[in-house]
Amino acid sequence: MSSEAANPSALRGIWDNLKSTPKRMYGSAFRSGSPKTDRTRSSFVFGNVFLHLHSVRTHIWSLKWSTTMGLGIMTTAAFFITLVTGILLMFYYKPYPDVAYQSMKDIHFVVPTGRFIRNIHRWAANLMVVAVILHMARTFFTASYRKPREFNWLVGWGLLVTTLALSFTGYLLPWDQLAYWAITIGANIAQSPREITDALGMTQYLDIGGLQRMILLGSDEVGAEALIRFYLLHVMLLPIVLLLLMAVHFWRIRKDGGIARPDDADELVSTDPKENYPVFTDDPQKTYQLAAVVKGTTPAVGNGPERTLPSMPHLFYAELGVLMLTTLICLALALISDAPLKEIANPMIPENPAKAPWYFLGLQEIVSFSAFTGGIGIPALCWLGLGLIPFLDRERSGSGKWFGGPGGWTLFKWSLLVGFGASVGIEAFAIHFGWLREWFPSIPQLAITFINPGTVLTLIYALFSVWTVRRYNSTRAGAVALFTCFLCGFVVLTVVGTYFRGPNWEFYWSPSDWPGH
Amino acid sequence: MKKNKYLLLFSSIGVFLLLVYAAASENFFKEWQAIQAEAKSSEGPIDVRLRQIINPSLKTTDRCVSCHVGMAPGETVVSHLRVAAPHKPVVHSPIEMGCTTCHAGQGLATERLDAHGDVDFWPEPMLPAKYAYASCGRCHTPLEVPNTKRLEAAKNTFERLDCYACHRLDGRGGTIRPGGKTGMEGPDLSHTGIKGFNKEWYEGHLAKKQADTSGLWENAFAEIGEGDRALLDQFLGLQMGAPTLIAAKAEYNSVGCAGCHIVGNFGGDTGVDLSQVGEKDPNRLSYINVPGSKTFPNWIAQHFRLPVSTVAGSQMPALGLSGDQIDLLTMYILSLKRRSLPDIWLPKDRVKAMRFGAREFTTDGETIYTAVCSGCHGAGGNGMRYPGLPPYPSITNRDFLELASDEFVFQTIKQGRPGRPMLPWGVRQNGFSDEEIRSVVTYIRALGGIDAVPDEKPARWAGGDGKLGSRLFAANCAGCHGAMGGGGEGPALSNKNLLASATDTFLYETISKGRRGTVMKGFTEPSPVRKSLTGYEIESIVTYLRSMNAK
Amino acid sequence: MTTKPGEKRSRFDPDPMPRRDFLGLSALGAAAAALLFSMFGMLRLPKAAVLTSPSKKFNVSLPDTLPEGEAFVPEGRSVAVFKDTAGVFAISTTCTHLGCVVKPTTQGFECPCHGSRFAKDGVVTKGPAPKALPWLKITESGGTYQVDEEDQVAPGTKI
Repeated sequence: MSSEAANPSALRGIWDNLKSTPKRMYGSAFRSGSPKTDRTRSSFVFGNVFLHLHSVRTHIWSLKWSTTMGLGIMTTAAFFITLVTGILLMFYYKPYPDVAYQSMKDIHFVVPTGRFIRNIHRWAANLMVVAVILHMARTFFTASYRKPREFNWLVGWGLLVTTLALSFTGYLLPWDQLAYWAITIGANIAQSPREITDALGMTQYLDIGGLQRMILLGSDEVGAEALIRFYLLHVMLLPIVLLLLMAVHFWRIRKDGGIARPDDADELVSTDPKENYPVFTDDPQKTYQLAAVVKGTTPAVGNGPERTLPSMPHLFYAELGVLMLTTLICLALALISDAPLKEIANPMIPENPAKAPWYFLGLQEIVSFSAFTGGIGIPALCWLGLGLIPFLDRERSGSGKWFGGPGGWTLFKWSLLVGFGASVGIEAFAIHFGWLREWFPSIPQLAITFINPGTVLTLIYALFSVWTVRRYNSTRAGAVALFTCFLCGFVVLTVVGTYFRGPNWEFYWSPSDWPGH
Repeated sequence: MKKNKYLLLFSSIGVFLLLVYAAASENFFKEWQAIQAEAKSSEGPIDVRLRQIINPSLKTTDRCVSCHVGMAPGETVVSHLRVAAPHKPVVHSPIEMGCTTCHAGQGLATERLDAHGDVDFWPEPMLPAKYAYASCGRCHTPLEVPNTKRLEAAKNTFERLDCYACHRLDGRGGTIRPGGKTGMEGPDLSHTGIKGFNKEWYEGHLAKKQADTSGLWENAFAEIGEGDRALLDQFLGLQMGAPTLIAAKAEYNSVGCAGCHIVGNFGGDTGVDLSQVGEKDPNRLSYINVPGSKTFPNWIAQHFRLPVSTVAGSQMPALGLSGDQIDLLTMYILSLKRRSLPDIWLPKDRVKAMRFGAREFTTDGETIYTAVCSGCHGAGGNGMRYPGLPPYPSITNRDFLELASDEFVFQTIKQGRPGRPMLPWGVRQNGFSDEEIRSVVTYIRALGGIDAVPDEKPARWAGGDGKLGSRLFAANCAGCHGAMGGGGEGPALSNKNLLASATDTFLYETISKGRRGTVMKGFTEPSPVRKSLTGYEIESIVTYLRSMNAK
Repeated sequence: MTTKPGEKRSRFDPDPMPRRDFLGLSALGAAAAALLFSMFGMLRLPKAAVLTSPSKKFNVSLPDTLPEGEAFVPEGRSVAVFKDTAGVFAISTTCTHLGCVVKPTTQGFECPCHGSRFAKDGVVTKGPAPKALPWLKITESGGTYQVDEEDQVAPGTKI
């Protein structure tokens, strides 16, 4: 309480401050003012924590559609769509057997927009898997994994696994027959190292397979424990891992000098003088980062004037455009086709055929020859191979160009031929003539574990790749051959598993030939 | 770089349009919204919103009432819309029990195809209306149901004595009330089987008749004979508001299904256990050879017509049933659901059947025979011959009934024939009591109309030479009865239960006289194709048969 | 700090990390050990000490007229019980390939998931299953049989 009368000018000050608050708020958030000039646009980008992941200027090469096809952004967009829709679904989903199924039915029938949201979630998840595989293929075929991007290739490698794991864990949650049996098979693939330990007679001392399965399921059968574990992985652990890896992945893109481009990119892009002018001096010796205290040079050092455009707005149009395109695709698919929901899970009656999500059907196809080789051996081999690519191929030629390096298009086409030919041939052979067990019923299991269509196919691909390395005298050529072949194998096996396998995993030309229905 | 701006522009417009479309279909174009908008109550339009009936202990959440809005709690819809009409009055109010409890279907769904269950992946599609009462079987087990013949007799008695004049039964009768008074004179008898009834009703009625001065009782009630009273008691014990289900069960008890199939805690185990067969998932059945619709009721009906073409490798013979019979049996099969219920929902009849082994058929000789024996031995006891199965012997054959003592028939039913289709009906789980078996023996005698000829001789008297008997057996008997007497076209003779209960007279006389009407000819009778046997030779065969027992 | 007094160093050329900073190393080491230990502790949690699944031992009463060689599958169990002249025996119906429930047929067993076939005695005849279906321990007391799904016995053991 003051005995003096309140100061009228200070009171008016409060009023004036209140009036100018919105403007000041805006001003304090966006210090550089509206992004109209290149200068304010630049400061708009680096003054914003989210936009600062981008560099201020983007090379025209990177903005060309043919460079990236927007696949990375599409993957990210699909992830954020699944994130948003997933959080919405969590309002109603209850992770407990049977109750889970009821809540799926509720989401389908009575939750406002529930079915639509679930469909979007499902399609975005599928799209994410497709996009992440294509994104990997793009990175590989444009030879963008090379120095200094080896580490980012590895991070992307982790993101691919995490994406597949997210999809797989989400598969169990509806608790229908499809989910239950797919997860039973998945969990038993985790147990398949027993095939080896059994053959060696050491399962009772060292049961890696059993331990893996036990950790995954929390019990010795797919039940309430497994459901809550998959739920935890799906909504918490894996998204956190994915977000962390994504942050590193994006940050490294910027640190590695943006999207990989050929050395002569500047000459290759069209020059429109209005949009395209150099901002750096002709031959900058340092750029103003923490470079002042850290030794060494950043990727920008030593590069002459580049054909760059301000990221704001050019890059953001592209990114937003792809985001909306991804949303459009997901919405359209969600309106056209409902996510499946079969009968409630019944542990006593296996689905026949019991099929995993489509992207695992290639795996299931080789699993149907040997659980360990198909489920663990070959995937692990592919995995290691993928991770080692940037360290085994250290050539420089062709970086940033589609099918760059020795061989080029011709090699790619030949690899496609070998990749498709070999996988279709092996499948046709195994389907038509059977395999070792049919010919020699008493053959030891280890023989089948090591000699089966999966391993034979792998061997053919490996031999072809070795031949290419010698033919072109180039590690890059070998890598292109091997990668292309495995991609073809993946496609062929997935298609066979998806469309041509019926009850008892028998071959059928069409589901209408299936017995029983 | 205009390309990217166009990309953003067109994608965004596309997203916006799709969202508008989705919003419209989500908010304005639901089937149930249209129905509710059209349905009116007497006070005008009703709220358009999702409605449901939830019964947590029965685990039902039924949103059927979103379309069938007239059946929703508290709604009084007056409308020409059939779908929105109120439910007809039934014993269990849908508001209390939900809809799917009786009609099946998918209660959680809010769209017609899904809700009616006519989609893949829903194991319980709606029951056709004519089978709706089959769902009583989810909770109830009608007990002591007679065969069709007796049920008809009971029904006719009720009708003939005009009980409908004062009593109401399943919505019929009870309309006459002299003096213009309203209301019923007698109580409604629709649920006497469940709620029970005064066992001394007859005495009560008589006393009222004698005390009455107004003339009402005097004229309306007359004395009833003992036989009719027994039928009426039986009839009252069956009333549970589901007459078609009772008729269906009576049919099951008339064609001998229990001889091969278990329901609940009783029946033969040659066939499939039917206790929960009504819960089969129609999506898991094979319809390759099933003409007509791909529904479970149709599958069952076709199965009754030709079992082996519906289920490959089925042992069940085609029984030659009429269309009406198949309809009733289909209804009964659909009623076999026996789902596990929380204790408070368990009706008395189910508890009795489940925990105390109460019989689901009446235990008079006739009903037992038609329910259990008639499938194999025939309704008239003349035996049956199904393609691919061993012939089932006639048990009303004159020569058999004359020779077989009541004790022999009794022991045969009780102990059965191990290794043969005839099961030990007296010594199996929840098997027949001796009394029940005796009533069956009596019924068989009545069916054949022949009493046993008393036999003065001891059970074992045959002499003769076993070695000779062995040779004679191989020459004369083995063709039909099997080399080791193990049975073939003819019955198995080495069976220890047969040999234990059959007297020498039985065996001797059967061999010497044969069984008329069967391929078993008398071996003492002269025949152009073989030598007739002497008394000593037959005795030798009997001795040989006895020695089989020793093996 | 191991910089010798008087020695001038550029701020662009900082001190090299001292090699024998005992205090620093032991502090870091202790932190690493503690964190590592806590990680092991956390990894201990996801492996359940007891399982929620019901007992794997159960009683079976066989029907009177079980034909020789025909499988009897107790409700809710993945076991097929057989009776023949030599006695009673139990074979697991969990596929050794990927854990689907195999179906007893007249020839043996069939797995619906990847088409493995097994003979009557559980031996693999076709498909990817790595080993035969195990025979399970079965004991008899007073007319009922007790099967232990966790106790495997040598194939051919009948009682």
